Amino acid sequence: MTQFLAISNRKGGVGKSTIAVMLAHAAAAWGRQHVLVMDLDTQCNASLMLLGGEGWQRACRAGRTMADYVYDRFDKVAGDESVYVVNAVGDVSHARTASGRVSLLPGSQRLEDIQGELYLMQAKKHLDADAVGVQVRGRMKRLMKHFGMLCDLVILDCPPGLSFAALAALDLADRVVVPFRPDFVSQFALDRVAMLIERVETSEQLASIPLGERRYRCLANYLTGAGHERLMIDQLAIDHPLLLTRLPVLASIARAFDWDESKKTMDQKYADALPYLRRLYAEVFTGTQLSAKSA
Amino acid sequence: MGKDRTQTRTLSGAAQAAYLRRLLEAHGNVPAAAREELLGALAREIAQLRVRSPAADALVRRPRSSPTKRRAAATGAQATRPPVPEPIGRDFDPFSPNVVLIVRQSGRGAALAALAAIDGIDKLRLLAHEQRLSINAELSSPAELRAAIVAAAERRIANRMAAAR
Repeated sequence: MTQFLAISNRKGGVGKSTIAVMLAHAAAAWGRQHVLVMDLDTQCNASLMLLGGEGWQRACRAGRTMADYVYDRFDKVAGDESVYVVNAVGDVSHARTASGRVSLLPGSQRLEDIQGELYLMQAKKHLDADAVGVQVRGRMKRLMKHFGMLCDLVILDCPPGLSFAALAALDLADRVVVPFRPDFVSQFALDRVAMLIERVETSEQLASIPLGERRYRCLANYLTGAGHERLMIDQLAIDHPLLLTRLPVLASIARAFDWDESKKTMDQKYADALPYLRRLYAEVFTGTQLSAKSA
Repeated sequence: MGKDRTQTRTLSGAAQAAYLRRLLEAHGNVPAAAREELLGALAREIAQLRVRSPAADALVRRPRSSPTKRRAAATGAQATRPPVPEPIGRDFDPFSPNVVLIVRQSGRGAALAALAAIDGIDKLRLLAHEQRLSINAELSSPAELRAAIVAAAERRIANRMAAAR
């Protein structure tokens, strides 16, 4: 059965797209899964990482983006979703015989405008604003769900903020990874996104859900080793389930996403970030925790 | 070499940051934005710094308070941000105990008890500074400082709870 994994945080700049692409590569290479990355962010960073600027432009010109898909299919019955998908993306080589591969539903800068347009179109039919919002979000969720038939794993790279696309993705996801930087502002963002994911309205209601039963796990990212990061992580661990894997600031992660179409092995692409990615992959997809040594 | 070694001091944490900041500020031709970028990069790259003692003394020393600040102190006005604390022993970890964590989990009494193990005023100031707990710079007794640190932790918690509503 297809799994839907959302990578989300209302705060920007926490590494959502990077994590989404890293996990897509890992699941394809090590889990031999057919992974679809759905780029819901109008910054389109995941698309640029997987296709490069020119490849993304070609996809936009061909009408193969999330915005095109939502606009074309909003009022129609399900059709052939695969025409919107770009296959064999990214620069990691997979053995010809292996089933693992990465596909992409590219992002579009027009997605926000189109969501607004769809909202207005629906608003002409209904008077209640909340009902219109629920309807648009529900339809987007169903449209996203159709891609489950094409692959083993769908990774939803969510935008910051609270667009219909982001809310639909959070509603659809079986699990959510919430990357964060352990700083003062991030704790507020985590509290808020956690309430959205768990569909509660107050911190008291959130606290009543045991950490182990929540759909999300938080991932500390961009660690520098400063003492205050340790403080913040320990404080956040009272209220939120945290992954034991923590990602430091690494030049090799930044370098891995400089667009370069030459195919590489996972070792070549991720270099000294590879042990961290192995730990993250194991923890997110198999629930096992690899020690630094075994990774 | 040996002689130089006896006249050096090791700086880390807040003292190291203060030293580097004042060193760069002493060079007025470094633009503010570039200075901040350099300070960030140096903070990430350098864990400990050994510097000649006179240079460190001059640059890490707490700035003399201005007449305005002295008047404010005399009239009881509160300074919002204490000066960067003096460097202290390497064995002291200003990130322990995690005051916010203890207040959240066990309450203010437990936090005060944990802080009771720290008796030096400089250590308490450094702990408050590193844990981003804002305290009145004029407080001078360990008991007052501990109470102020716990109160600051309670304010941080209240802030977070308010934002989550």
